[in-house]
Amino acid sequence: MSWASRLAEFGPGSVGRDSGGTEPDPRFTFANERTFLAWSRTALALVVAGLAIVQLLPPFPGVPAGRHLLGVPLIVLGAVLAIAAYAEYVRNQRAMRRGEPLPRSVMPWILAATIAGMALISAIVLLISALR
Amino acid sequence: MTPRTPAPAGDDPEERDPGMARERTSLAWTRTAISFAALGGTVLKANVITGLIILAVAPVIWELGRVSQGSGLAAGFPRVGPARLFVIAVAIVAVAVLCLYIAIFGKSVPGALR
Repeated sequence: MSWASRLAEFGPGSVGRDSGGTEPDPRFTFANERTFLAWSRTALALVVAGLAIVQLLPPFPGVPAGRHLLGVPLIVLGAVLAIAAYAEYVRNQRAMRRGEPLPRSVMPWILAATIAGMALISAIVLLISALR
Repeated sequence: MTPRTPAPAGDDPEERDPGMARERTSLAWTRTAISFAALGGTVLKANVITGLIILAVAPVIWELGRVSQGSGLAAGFPRVGPARLFVIAVAIVAVAVLCLYIAIFGKSVPGALR
């Protein structure tokens, strides 16, 4: 499959065009939609946290780039999560139409890995600024 | 937020809205719209112009959430669903890019406070 057609699969029209299978119970579609919205709010919270770190926190002594080191990855993660949440919604909806098992989600892994990474960076930045 | 369309025949709430799925979804849309407003309010503290742009997105999300209430289960599930969700995903990416710009260039961005 080419990259273009693989990308088109996740376009907003693809779910509507998908004629395979049967329309799932509306309750499941609503639940899928709520899951997407919950991830969206998580993404927004990450963006606001990242911006608050850069703009509202006092600078770390001895680590001039410290605030950016912490805030910028959070904002990027917010954007990534929003895209991933949408892709996940489309995949789940397709699986439900076709009566297949729901695909395994990678998003908890992304979130956990990034939070662990952020904790590590925070610890390093704080240690460096404390040792100065 | 009251439903725009009258409830279909049947007084049983379980029959009208099984598992309160529609109501819970509409509340989730409301929370998402409020999240956008909260983000806009926070950004306002860093950059007035960007904050106002993000605040303006909140009512749009609110309105999108009301669209999902319009069609009842009897009328079939609305096929506009994925497009609305796509709008949210694109809006978050746009907001993230704006915030990234403010975070990196800070006070040289037009609209910056201080």
